[in-house]
Amino acid sequence: MRTLNYKEALNEALHQEMANDSRVIVLGEDVARMGGDFGVTMGLLDKFGPDRVRDTPLSEAAIIGAANGAAFCGLRPVAEIMFADFITECYDQLVNNSAKARYMFNGQVMAPIVVRTASGAGFRAAYHHSQNIEAWFMNIPGLTVVAPATPHDAKGLLIASIRDDNPIIFLEHKMLYGTSGEVPEEPYALPIGVAEVKRPGTDVTIVSSMKQLHYALAVADQLAAEEEISCEVIDLRTIKPFDKATILSSVKKTGRVVLVNEAPKTGSINAEISAVITEEAFRDLKAPVERVNSLDVPVGFAPVLEDYVIPGPAEIAKAVRKVVDY
Amino acid sequence: MSTDKQTLLDYYRKMVLIRRFEETMEEHARKGYIPGFLHLGIGQEAAQVGTMASFQPGDYVLPDHRSHGVCLMVGTPTREVMAEIFGKKTGTNGGRGGSMHVADFKRGNVGNNAIQGSTMATACGLALAAQVKKTKSVTFEFIGDGTVGRGEFHESLNLAGIWKLPIVYVLVNNGYAISTRATDAHPLADLAKMGCAYKVPGITVDGNDVEAVQAAAKEATDRARRGDGATIIELKTYRWQGHFSGDPASYRPEEEVKAWKEKCPIKRLREKLLKPKMADEAALKAIEDDVEREIQDALKFSIDSPAPTIADALSFVYVGREVTGK
Ligand SMILES: Cc1ncc(C[n+]2csc(CCOP(=O)(O)OP(=O)(O)O)c2C)c(N)n1
Ligand SMILES: [Mg+2]
Repeated sequence: MRTLNYKEALNEALHQEMANDSRVIVLGEDVARMGGDFGVTMGLLDKFGPDRVRDTPLSEAAIIGAANGAAFCGLRPVAEIMFADFITECYDQLVNNSAKARYMFNGQVMAPIVVRTASGAGFRAAYHHSQNIEAWFMNIPGLTVVAPATPHDAKGLLIASIRDDNPIIFLEHKMLYGTSGEVPEEPYALPIGVAEVKRPGTDVTIVSSMKQLHYALAVADQLAAEEEISCEVIDLRTIKPFDKATILSSVKKTGRVVLVNEAPKTGSINAEISAVITEEAFRDLKAPVERVNSLDVPVGFAPVLEDYVIPGPAEIAKAVRKVVDY
Repeated sequence: MSTDKQTLLDYYRKMVLIRRFEETMEEHARKGYIPGFLHLGIGQEAAQVGTMASFQPGDYVLPDHRSHGVCLMVGTPTREVMAEIFGKKTGTNGGRGGSMHVADFKRGNVGNNAIQGSTMATACGLALAAQVKKTKSVTFEFIGDGTVGRGEFHESLNLAGIWKLPIVYVLVNNGYAISTRATDAHPLADLAKMGCAYKVPGITVDGNDVEAVQAAAKEATDRARRGDGATIIELKTYRWQGHFSGDPASYRPEEEVKAWKEKCPIKRLREKLLKPKMADEAALKAIEDDVEREIQDALKFSIDSPAPTIADALSFVYVGREVTGK
C-alpha cells in the first residue's frame, strides 16, 4: 500500500472531506496562504477558495466562536489552533459554548466543529509550545477528544471527526507529523471511541496514545525479545470517551497495567483510566496500576530539562518490570 | 421624526409588553417561583424594541443576559419565554435554559448567554455562514457597556472589520456593569467610537427614544444587508432595577435613578402619541389591557406547566451517544 506521513494523511483527509461536503470550511491562523504552521492545510485555499478557507488574525476566541456560529448555521467548520498551548485563549468558547450548546438549548442545535491543534513535547520549544492538554478537557461533558498516533488513524479519525455531529478536540502530536505509514487512498472514517490493540500480549497491558504509543511498542518488542515479558499494547485513539471495554478485557487477561501518557501525572487521563480499572476490574489485578507520565513540572527549554521531565522508553520498561515483579 | 401612527402604536404595545413581562418576572421571583438569577431590562424597552424593528425572518440575534424583551421580539410566544424563565418543560428550551439561556433557533434567536461577550465571537460565525451560504441574513449582537472590556469584543470587531461581516452590534450603554460605572471602566464616553480602530462605524443615540433607535438600527441593518459590513449602535439608557432582581443597587445615587425614571421611554412615547392626538387615552388603555391579558395568560401557562423530568437531565449531552444516569 501507498505510504504517507502523518501530516500528509491529515492533509488528504481535509482535501477529501472538503471536496465531498461543501459545508466543510477551514479557518485559523496561517491556514490559507501558508497552508498551516505544520503544513496540514496545504493546498486547500487554491482548491476551495477564500470563502471556505480563511486566514484569521491572532484571535483564538473568535476562531472558535466563529466556528460555533457557523456550525449552528449548518456548516462543518474545521478550526486550527496553531499550538495546543494556545487553547487557553479559546477555552471559554469550547467549554461554555461548544460543549454546552446542544444541551442548554434543548437539542435545537448541534455544534459539529473540529478543533485541530498541535500538541506534545519534543520540539525543544519549551513552556508554551510543548504541552499535552487532553486532561484539560476530561471534565467537560459534551466534548470529545481524539488523538491519533499513526498516519492511517490520523486520516480516518479526522474524516470521522468532521462527519461527527459533536464538537471534537483533535490532538495532533507535533513530533509525529513526519512519521510515515500505510494510508489507503480512498476516504474512510474510523469509529470514534474505539481503541485498537496494536500488539497482543499476555503478561502486561500497556495503554497509551500519540507519541508515547510508539515508545510503548518499542519497549514491548524489546522486553519480549530480551526478558520474555509479553506486553499487550493498546492505542486509545479516542481519549474522551476512552474505550473502557477494550481496556478492561485486556486487564482481565493480563492482570497487570501500565498507563503511559505524556502529560503531567497529577489529574492526567491516566488517573481517570486507573480509577475505572480499580472500580471495574479490581479483582483481576495482580499488581497495582502503574502510571508513566511527565513529572508535575513545566516543560523547560534546555534539552536536558525537557528530557528529564518527559517520559520515554526507559520509564515505560521500568514500570513494566515493576508490575511483573510485584 | 415622523413615524406613522400605526407603527408607533405597535412600538408602544411592544414596550408595554416588555415592561409588564419584566415586572411580572420580578414579582414572581420575589414570590419564589423563579430559580436562579434574573436580570431585568426595565427602562431599556426602547433600545430593545427600536433595534428589533429591523429584524427580519432569516436574521439571527444573540440577546444578552438583560434581554428577555429581545427574546420576545423575534416572535416567540410570550408563554414560551416566560415558561422558560420559570424552568418549565413548555419553555423555549424545555426548562433547561432559564433566564440567561433563552433560545429559539427556528425564529433566529441563537440564545442569550451568561459569559459576557462570548457571543461576540459566535456572531462572527453566524455572519460568516451568511457569507459562505450567500444569504442576506444579518446578525444582531446585544452587549452591555461593561462587556466592551472583554477580549472577544475586540476580536469580533476586528474580524468583522476585515471580513465585512453583516453584524449589527447593539451596545446597550446603561451606565453600569453591576456597580462599575462605564466612565470608570472605559476611557471613551461614547463607546460607539470603539469600532474606529477596526473600521467599524459607530453611532451613539438616545436609547430611550424608540424612533431614534429604530432609525439607527435600520441604517446599520441596511448597511449589513448590502454587504457593507458591521456597525456599532450605542444606545444610552438606564436600568431601573439593580443588576439582578434582589440587588438593592446602593452603589447609585437616588437622584440619578429618579432622573432616569423621568426619562422613561414608555412615558415618552405615550406622551408623544397623546399630544398631537395621534391616539387617545382609550386607545392606549385598550392596548395596555390587551397586553395584560397576554401576560396573565402566559403567567397561568407558566405556573401550570410541568417541570422537566429527570430523564431530561441526560438528553442532548452528545449527538448519538448516551450518558449514564444514577
Ligand atoms: C466573562 C464574564 N465576566 C463577568 C461576569 C459577571 N457579570 C455578569 S453581568 C456583568 C456586568 C455586565 O455589564 P454590562 O455589560 O454593562 O451589562 P448590563 O448588566 O449593564 O446589562 C458581570 C460583571 C460574567 N457573567 N461573565
Ligand atoms: Mg451596563
